[in-house]
Amino acid sequence: MIISRISAFISDFENLMPLFAGACALLFIIGILMLPLPYEEKQLYPKQINRSSTLDPYDRGGSPFTRATIISQYPQNSPTAGYVTTYLTPLSWFLANTTQHLGTTIVAHPGGILDEILYNTRGLDTVVEPTILFIAFAIGSYLFRRG
Amino acid sequence: MSSVGGTPLFLLEFGDIVMYFTPYTTSLFILALVFTCIVILSRPENQLDIIFGSDGYYTKETEVEELRFRRFMSIACGLACLGATVTGDVFDFTLFVSLVGITNVGIVAAVRSRHVQNAAFQYGIVALAGTVPLFGGAAIVAATNGTLSMIELSARTMSGVPLIAKALLTLGVMGEGMAPFYAAKAEMFRAPGAPYVIMCSLSSLLIFLRVVEVIITM
Repeated sequence: MIISRISAFISDFENLMPLFAGACALLFIIGILMLPLPYEEKQLYPKQINRSSTLDPYDRGGSPFTRATIISQYPQNSPTAGYVTTYLTPLSWFLANTTQHLGTTIVAHPGGILDEILYNTRGLDTVVEPTILFIAFAIGSYLFRRG
Repeated sequence: MSSVGGTPLFLLEFGDIVMYFTPYTTSLFILALVFTCIVILSRPENQLDIIFGSDGYYTKETEVEELRFRRFMSIACGLACLGATVTGDVFDFTLFVSLVGITNVGIVAAVRSRHVQNAAFQYGIVALAGTVPLFGGAAIVAATNGTLSMIELSARTMSGVPLIAKALLTLGVMGEGMAPFYAAKAEMFRAPGAPYVIMCSLSSLLIFLRVVEVIITM
């Protein structure tokens, strides 16, 4: 009796979204009650923010023109990690050393430890992420063009 | 590494993301691969509705373009399933699962019927909301363990993955894999192009089966 009532409720797809939202809210409340969770100090991908750097908001770590040390889970799988941190052209390097303003243009210079992690050691993630975007764009454009 | 899925037969390395093929994940992988091939090769049937109590019948016209788009989405869904069934990284798994979710939205949304598109909209909202617990779970795993590799997580003697992270991950997968509920209600199985719709159900089944293995292994 109760099962047929539940299945009748679920069979209306208008009810599924509130049901899922309720489950999320319930789990989030339980999650908040379970705080604090222990934080592992030894993170695989550490991140330092250097406020005094001339590249400050976009400083991705690593020194130009030298090989950086990239901490990775399986170093033997990424033998070339750390070579592509030279994200500054000689002109940019000069500007970075003499002015405080290169931080605003650093988006044009991919590289650094962060990008080494993204493109080298965790490259598959970086491939899947734009795939999700492209698929979403394909659906959106198909529906839009069909009218 | 030995997990509920058995000992890995083969490891495929993409840097820090290591795909592992245990007997369990391999069988899921083969299932997804076979069905993707079926979707590529099969030709969707035309639908005939018989008028009850008479000899009359009518056929439903479906545009080739629509079927082509749905086939594209089904193939994308199959490829996402291939990744989700074997990946050995928690964050990569969540990415593949959200890719499965969005391709399922595409399969459902391409049908030109108001009722079906309402269902697709609702499902899209659930898939959207499902990413919050999904990625939240992966983030908690990273914060409490410092690593995302399932092989590393399973090698630890004491499981450091909190229960809430596992619960959030499961709820996220439930949100992304909710398509069969909508598909069944949206008369999708009666709509032309059946093999593409069954991809929704199969992909949901595969990611559910995989997340069970993931949370037991961690």
